[in-house]
Amino acid sequence: MDFEVNYTGEQQRFRSEVRSWLEANVPPAISRRPTTDEESAANYRLRRELGRKLGAKGWLYPLAPKEYGGGGMDVDHAIVLEEEADRFELSLPPYYNSGGTLGAPTILVWGTEEQRRTLLPPIYRGEVRVWQLLSEPEAGSDLAGVRMRATRDGDEYVLNGQKVFIGSDNGTDWMWTLAATDPNGERHKNLSWFMVDARLPGITVQPMDLLGAGESSARSGQKNTIFFEDVRVPASRLVGGENNGWRVASTHLELEHGGGGHIGRNRFWHALLDYCRNTTRDGRPLVEDPDVRDTLADIYIKAQVGRLFGLRNFWLTYAKQPKSYEGPQLSLYMKLAGLWMTGAILQSIGPEALTSDPRWGSEDHFLEAQQRNGIVLMHPGGTADIQKVSMARRIGIGRATRESAGKVS
Amino acid sequence: MDLSLNEHQRMLAQSARTFMQRRMPKAAIVALHNTDTGYQAQTWSTIAELGWLGLLIAPQYGGGGASLTDAAVLYEEFGRGPLPGPFFSSGVLSALTVEEAGTEEQRRRILPEIAAGRQIYTVAITEPRRSWGPQGIAMEPRLDGDKYILDGIKLFVSDGAAASHLIVAVRTGSSDDAISLLVVDKRSRGVAARNLPGLLSWQAEITFEGVEVAAAALLGRRENGGWAALSRAMQRALPVLCAYQVGSCQAAFEMSVEYSRTRVQFGVPIGRFQRVQDHIVRLVNHLDAARWTTYEALWKLDSGRPAADSVHLAKAVTAEAHMEACNAAHEVHAGIGSVHEYGLTPHTQLSRTLFNYLGDPKWHKRQMAAALQW
Repeated sequence: MDFEVNYTGEQQRFRSEVRSWLEANVPPAISRRPTTDEESAANYRLRRELGRKLGAKGWLYPLAPKEYGGGGMDVDHAIVLEEEADRFELSLPPYYNSGGTLGAPTILVWGTEEQRRTLLPPIYRGEVRVWQLLSEPEAGSDLAGVRMRATRDGDEYVLNGQKVFIGSDNGTDWMWTLAATDPNGERHKNLSWFMVDARLPGITVQPMDLLGAGESSARSGQKNTIFFEDVRVPASRLVGGENNGWRVASTHLELEHGGGGHIGRNRFWHALLDYCRNTTRDGRPLVEDPDVRDTLADIYIKAQVGRLFGLRNFWLTYAKQPKSYEGPQLSLYMKLAGLWMTGAILQSIGPEALTSDPRWGSEDHFLEAQQRNGIVLMHPGGTADIQKVSMARRIGIGRATRESAGKVS
Repeated sequence: MDLSLNEHQRMLAQSARTFMQRRMPKAAIVALHNTDTGYQAQTWSTIAELGWLGLLIAPQYGGGGASLTDAAVLYEEFGRGPLPGPFFSSGVLSALTVEEAGTEEQRRRILPEIAAGRQIYTVAITEPRRSWGPQGIAMEPRLDGDKYILDGIKLFVSDGAAASHLIVAVRTGSSDDAISLLVVDKRSRGVAARNLPGLLSWQAEITFEGVEVAAAALLGRRENGGWAALSRAMQRALPVLCAYQVGSCQAAFEMSVEYSRTRVQFGVPIGRFQRVQDHIVRLVNHLDAARWTTYEALWKLDSGRPAADSVHLAKAVTAEAHMEACNAAHEVHAGIGSVHEYGLTPHTQLSRTLFNYLGDPKWHKRQMAAALQW
């Protein structure tokens, strides 16, 4: 076994190239957490600009095929890029782009050649941001029950309905969505998958008032309600065929459920340890308090187990090994660990973890943000309970061995 | 990056699995549970002949010179049984202790005996009403000419009844870690071993009454290096023990999945109930946490990376995971799970026995924090 990527001389050279490029092109202001909407918008512009520069080099989506505007690189080069971006506290892409990370692989699998040539290059080159639009007021865990209607009218589909918990702040260029093309049809065989231009008439984006959108963090956890009123989408933007949307969606749901895996530093852990080293209680650094140390050990262990699950999924994906329950397992583990951690941190740090006050709270109130996010992150990509249901199916619990397949790879 | 076993390891796992299926089916393991030593002479010899007992011992001392990951692959298969008997105590922990603490002469004399299975060793550390760690070792030998005289009790000695030889940790100085290791032939006058009854898998009370031990029985040339040597040996042995527990968790998982498919209540297999599914999901999460922390520690050790924090982490995670995995399996199985014949209870008993063995989870978490220099 080998738990580490081994770099060749050529890859080491690539690392130096990436590092110098990032040093020259990442504006220092980019990692500062915005505190006003104006700062947030300015920060977003910096990130998009960096995204386009990365995209032009094939570094925004390094693993995506070159012929569609991706980097066409192997995993080891992609890891180098991720690691180097991480030194600047950036991910790839350096902004929220759920529709790109999840939607583009879906188009690769299900799109026609023409759709791939039209839709993928703008995503892979960082020219557009894309949001995914899935949940509705009446369709959360039961996603197959979406009610948004798409009615064929000539060369267009007319979309009507409402989506919730969508996107982030600062708007988007494209959206993709699931809508019912056969509302009376059989479940799982009545939906279709569309890529929609966000500027089409009839689309309204309305921010939601949520626990995760911290007061002074410039809506870092912002989500939106999106209204569709007679939105006319060209039929050429239907991907994967009419009434085949559920199968198309299952491709990105697997990715969203942690199937792709990930690698990378745990910034939160390092920040927490630094906080405990540099903050005193009763005249003694928190890290020297035996009770705090015991709690920190448990937090560290959960972070390590989560890291190993992510690493394993990453390896399963790129070594093209068969997967069963591992995707939802990672997702479930991270959700439960995050929620548990809110209590563990409150126990060891105290009420300082709850305030975003710059004087008495933590730096950039990262602890206060965790207190919110530990709760909020229980639902995106499916609740913890949905992950359990998904794991049980794939393990084949309660099913005769011959029915237990349910595996995805 | 490659998280798969290599070809050689896959073959080793396959032979071990076949061996277990043929020679150590569930009924044989359940039967062994009522014996004092936990092993049959014939199985013991076969495993020695296959080279599995001395797998970790260097070739010049009659062993196989395998990596820790190789040994872990073997012990994971043993753990699926779970195969009882002093395999780990002698072939792993004692062998590595002799390698770390002994002189060249002692290695040449002892290790081939362990590899061939002619002598069975175990390490005797813990004492009555004492905590885990060097400070908990109070037994202090008297020096009488060129002999040590031992009096006292060692408690919870794994495979104490099966062993022919004991490596006894004794206090030879006042500082906490002034510990020495003495090799004692269990047939020596004044040594008595008694298996402890209860929910324990083959742990014994060993009583020493005026036991005379030659000075040459001290492992190494000088006194007081015992705890350091034992710690180095445990660094390497613990992940192999963890792999054994991973195998046991894997068995508990497979039994639970199978039972969820075949046990019918309310007209459906019980696995259709989400409450039952929850237990199995919890079980597999613990299993995988134990598996990957264990194999990462093994990889670090085998590739010469600093591994202390990972080893302590793996031991803490695995001990808790093993217990939780068995708890979940009992929730799935209910009544039938407590029937010895069914085969879940050996796993459960083991998960309890190994929880505190060689340091409990809290102790290892604290060692991990120290190793990470918080």
